[in-house]
Amino acid sequence: MRVAPRAQHRVLTAALVLVCSLSCLAGCRRPDPADAIRVSWTLDPSPPVVGAPIAAHLTLRGADQKPIPGARLRLEGLMSHPGMAPVIAAVIERGNGGYDAALRFTMAGDWILLLTGELPGGVQFKKQIEIAGVRPAS
Amino acid sequence: MNILRAPLVGRFLRWHYARPAMQCALLIVAAAVVWHGLFGPQLAPRNLATVLTSIHWRGFLILAIIAVGNLFCTACPMVLARDIGRRVFHPALRWPRRLRGKWLGVALLVAVLFSYELFDLWAQPRATALLVLGYFGLALVIDTVFAGASFCKHVCPIGQFNFVASTMSPAELHIVDRDTCRSCRTSDCIKGNEKQRGCELGLFLPMKVGNLDCTLCLDCVHACPHDNIVLSTRPPGAELLERGRRSGIGRLSQRADLAVLAVVFTFAALVSAFAMTSPAYAVEQRLAATMGTRSEWPVLAIIFLVSLFVVPALLLTGAGAISRSFAESRSTLRATVITYAYALIPIGLGIWVAHYGFHLITGGLTIVPVVQSAVVDASGHALLGGPFWGWVGLQAGAVFPIQLGCVLLGAVGSLAMVQAISQRDQPSGPAALASAPWLAVVLLIATTALWILSQPMEMRAVSVLG
Repeated sequence: MRVAPRAQHRVLTAALVLVCSLSCLAGCRRPDPADAIRVSWTLDPSPPVVGAPIAAHLTLRGADQKPIPGARLRLEGLMSHPGMAPVIAAVIERGNGGYDAALRFTMAGDWILLLTGELPGGVQFKKQIEIAGVRPAS
Repeated sequence: MNILRAPLVGRFLRWHYARPAMQCALLIVAAAVVWHGLFGPQLAPRNLATVLTSIHWRGFLILAIIAVGNLFCTACPMVLARDIGRRVFHPALRWPRRLRGKWLGVALLVAVLFSYELFDLWAQPRATALLVLGYFGLALVIDTVFAGASFCKHVCPIGQFNFVASTMSPAELHIVDRDTCRSCRTSDCIKGNEKQRGCELGLFLPMKVGNLDCTLCLDCVHACPHDNIVLSTRPPGAELLERGRRSGIGRLSQRADLAVLAVVFTFAALVSAFAMTSPAYAVEQRLAATMGTRSEWPVLAIIFLVSLFVVPALLLTGAGAISRSFAESRSTLRATVITYAYALIPIGLGIWVAHYGFHLITGGLTIVPVVQSAVVDASGHALLGGPFWGWVGLQAGAVFPIQLGCVLLGAVGSLAMVQAISQRDQPSGPAALASAPWLAVVLLIATTALWILSQPMEMRAVSVLG
């Protein structure tokens, strides 16, 4: 391999600048207040079955472990594979930081529940819940 | 019909910068894939890296092949990157003789398909971005060290897939007038000239047959001083029946590596589609229990080994042996198997189209909200409006008749190919008897494909055996 030395120097410098810039970008993330929110959840029935109605019970707690009532939430079920139809569910508050949603999975496999919304005080909120192994309908 | 003389399209293709323009477009797409894959949301259905590669790139690649030809290789951004790299690093070595042929490409194609299933790459935006970067890096390193299109011809697994599939394309680059080539003293189509390089894949146009190893780069078209090369329509698959020596390839009947590539291409179509179904996970769990392991890789390795090598070897050698005894053939078993292996390509392509077409039709519209979302990620503003997450595509059930049609069309193509090979090789003998076991193999593959496509889908990305 023959190399033109000046051109090589230029390319290596450009590559170094690019790598440094990307590293800085990756490291410059401000802490998000919503990161402190903890979501616990259960599905009924568990494991869930394709086509059957599923009740999702969610509980939101702050960093101090106190329940968070009054959040406006939206629950969306996404397949792990891109390009599959999402499942959208309305979330209803049942009090004391607890919320319920009714779902119906359309395909067997691994799903991701994307919980988004707004907490009291206007803080935007987004959490991912992984649901492994939704069973095929027998 | 010469596509290079068609209005608009032909004029564009004859434009000297047509290929760089297409490559630049795909380079921008690749840059977006890498950026969003590395820094965007790590949620596969919401990330450009996973959506564009799993849904659109694969779908359009295979549709382009059946509609025109190997257009992805034409617009390959990796070749643009290596062309830029070659302005700095000038390759001085020739690709090692021992590594020539398709064996390395076959191994890498299997490795990519295996990794896709093992690491659930469809669900991993960051890993997808790194894979794309890895592809670029490998192409750059190989082609700045070794001369010619070493990466395309001997290494690139996508390229090998495209080469096999494009034997079924309806268009091909070839010469118009043989006498013009006979009187040509410069052979610019392969040697190039001061303005234009020649074919980097070693295809000498007067002796070129078909699309194998052709990246449709159009370098030969631009290099030919006699305007003697056309991109014209032809019967798909006809090139597989040509027995003569072809430039850059030799005789198909003597290329065991190409025959294995054709077989892997066909059976990998079944494995890839099967991996998306519920029975696949049942098989994995049963195998894991039998092997006493909770690790996925040995289980997947057994599935790949059996379905890509053991089963095809048994099926094809069995069919070859029966075929030889029926036809009282004097050719060896190896030669018989190699000859008929190419007849599996149409059914293999039919299954790939059914699989990739399914994702494109059922998920094609997801590109709209994902791009809208990526714009928000990049600029912080909904410049294209809020994402329309409801945009997905047709329902899966509506696509099944199309999949059925693809598999049946592929099966008919393979049956016709088997029959044509038998008639070619047994002009005065029992062609029907010689072809019978191969027809049975094609029907078995088609039946298996239809069974797989009728199974309930299941997509795993966490732990299959956990």
